[in-house]
Amino acid sequence: MLSLRNAARHWTWTRLASFAFTLLAVAFLGLMLGLFVWQSLPAWKHAGLGYITGKTWYFRQQEFGALAMIYGTFVVSAVALLLAAPVGVGAALFTAEVLPNRWRLPVKAAVELLAGVPSVVYGLLGILFLRNWVYDGLESFDLLSGDTLLTAGILLAVMILPTVMTLSDDALRAVPATQRRAARGLGLTRAETAILVGFAQSWRGMLTALLLALGRALGETIAVFLVVGRRDNALPESFYSIPPLVEAGQTLTSKLGGSETNIAYGDPLHWAAIVGLALFLLSIVAGISWAGARLMRRKEECDAPLA
Amino acid sequence: MRHWLDRLFILCTALCAALPVVIIVFIIGVIAWRGGGALSWEFLTDQIRSAGADGGIFYNIAGTLILLMTAFLVSVPIATGLALVHGVYLKNERTKERLWLLLSVLNGVPSILFGLFGLIVFVKYLGWGKSWMTGGVLLGLMMLPTVAVAFIEQIKSLPRHYIEAAAGLGLSDSQRVWSVVMPQCAGGLVTGSLLGLARAAGETAPIMFTSTIFAGATIPSGVKESPVLSLPYHIFILAQDSFDPAAGTNLWGTALVLLVLVLGLSLLALPARLHIHEESGND
Repeated sequence: MLSLRNAARHWTWTRLASFAFTLLAVAFLGLMLGLFVWQSLPAWKHAGLGYITGKTWYFRQQEFGALAMIYGTFVVSAVALLLAAPVGVGAALFTAEVLPNRWRLPVKAAVELLAGVPSVVYGLLGILFLRNWVYDGLESFDLLSGDTLLTAGILLAVMILPTVMTLSDDALRAVPATQRRAARGLGLTRAETAILVGFAQSWRGMLTALLLALGRALGETIAVFLVVGRRDNALPESFYSIPPLVEAGQTLTSKLGGSETNIAYGDPLHWAAIVGLALFLLSIVAGISWAGARLMRRKEECDAPLA
Repeated sequence: MRHWLDRLFILCTALCAALPVVIIVFIIGVIAWRGGGALSWEFLTDQIRSAGADGGIFYNIAGTLILLMTAFLVSVPIATGLALVHGVYLKNERTKERLWLLLSVLNGVPSILFGLFGLIVFVKYLGWGKSWMTGGVLLGLMMLPTVAVAFIEQIKSLPRHYIEAAAGLGLSDSQRVWSVVMPQCAGGLVTGSLLGLARAAGETAPIMFTSTIFAGATIPSGVKESPVLSLPYHIFILAQDSFDPAAGTNLWGTALVLLVLVLGLSLLALPARLHIHEESGND
């Protein structure tokens, strides 16, 4: 057997090209990480850990503290996740547990289309509708404008809803149907079956769905850029205070997508500070994707003997 | 009591499921309604005039198609290589697992970071300036995981006896690739590409610093300093400072064209994609 397998491993052109292209893809990711580390070194040398914890960013005074943007990114993503998680999981419970097959496909197709809408179109709708709705809806807060962290969060929630819903639906449908039939046979209602059988066995998969959705939310640029207000150094007194939500802010991505990226290139330190934001974002999102992929794999392994 | 709770549960979850349907209908409806007025033969075939307020978006459509074609040509060979390595050549489960993790991580990389990478490497280091080639390469790399994963799924679902028959005939791995895997699984490549292109077509962040400008470019004739116009960047710029009603109409018209392009590509890939997801269920 061993000799047979070795015989199948001759180095042909097809094999060589396949491995070369694979290596290219691996090298690209490595190169991106290496490049970001290398190009951001001056910023880390200049500000040290203060680069992450510093509260002020004035590039003309060479003050580079990214905390306000990190805060903005996490607040916007948290709002998006808080809104999209219950709706997405609820919708998945309905499509996987209640909806008859005939109606399933149209709903799934609609969700797929929603996932396909470009972020610049979401941004456009955010500018022309959502920010006015937020402005009018929160009149009592006396907003300066409709461009707020909350607006960006709501827009992001719609954008990550398909991710949450599709992956949660997949997780629910991986639960064997025989168990559902058994539960119904014992006299449980549809709701009880959905929660005690479906949800109870697939919540791990749903956590994975939320994790991957969070990764998307953290990295989304264009839609957030258009409605977040892009106000530098908008850091509240405490991380958990609510009012700053309805003020303009800045996220890591809206900073990277802004004009400062073009201005910064001439000045090594300023450029390093910009690339440092990219490095920070890449590390977090890559970590989340990695954890999500690991979780999903583990789930498959656990499910295999059951299914 | 239990049955009331049951009804309440069904009502709440049904409302949740109705929300994405309502939102997509709203999005398509609003853009078709407001952009429909701008659509005309002239709009599709004329160039930009008066900073987007007048004229059409011919070179924007052309530019986006050039970017997509380049992205397609870049991603297909690399994705095929990745899928063959994962599905055919690699025998070690741990190595396969690592490659899969790598693809997942690549899939999650925010699009703006591709743009920054392209700015550093192609625009500045290689000195290409803004070029359609950079955008094409970046979009190709971005859609790589989508294409590769679709191909890999297809290889995984290949009937076991095909592989056994190939092994029984004494075919080597590479012979098996050309006689079984490629003919049987090319569909995965097509679905993946359609889906990847649908995502790539609407991307703004990777191309805004590297390959696209708002006005003043036509069909590029070289690589260096040859930017193109594009649909998403056109929308992105007009959306930020559009108080001119005429520009507004053209803005919605551009959004409608982009939406039709993107959703058209998604719709073509939809049957295969639903098939993959529906197979994971078992009732």
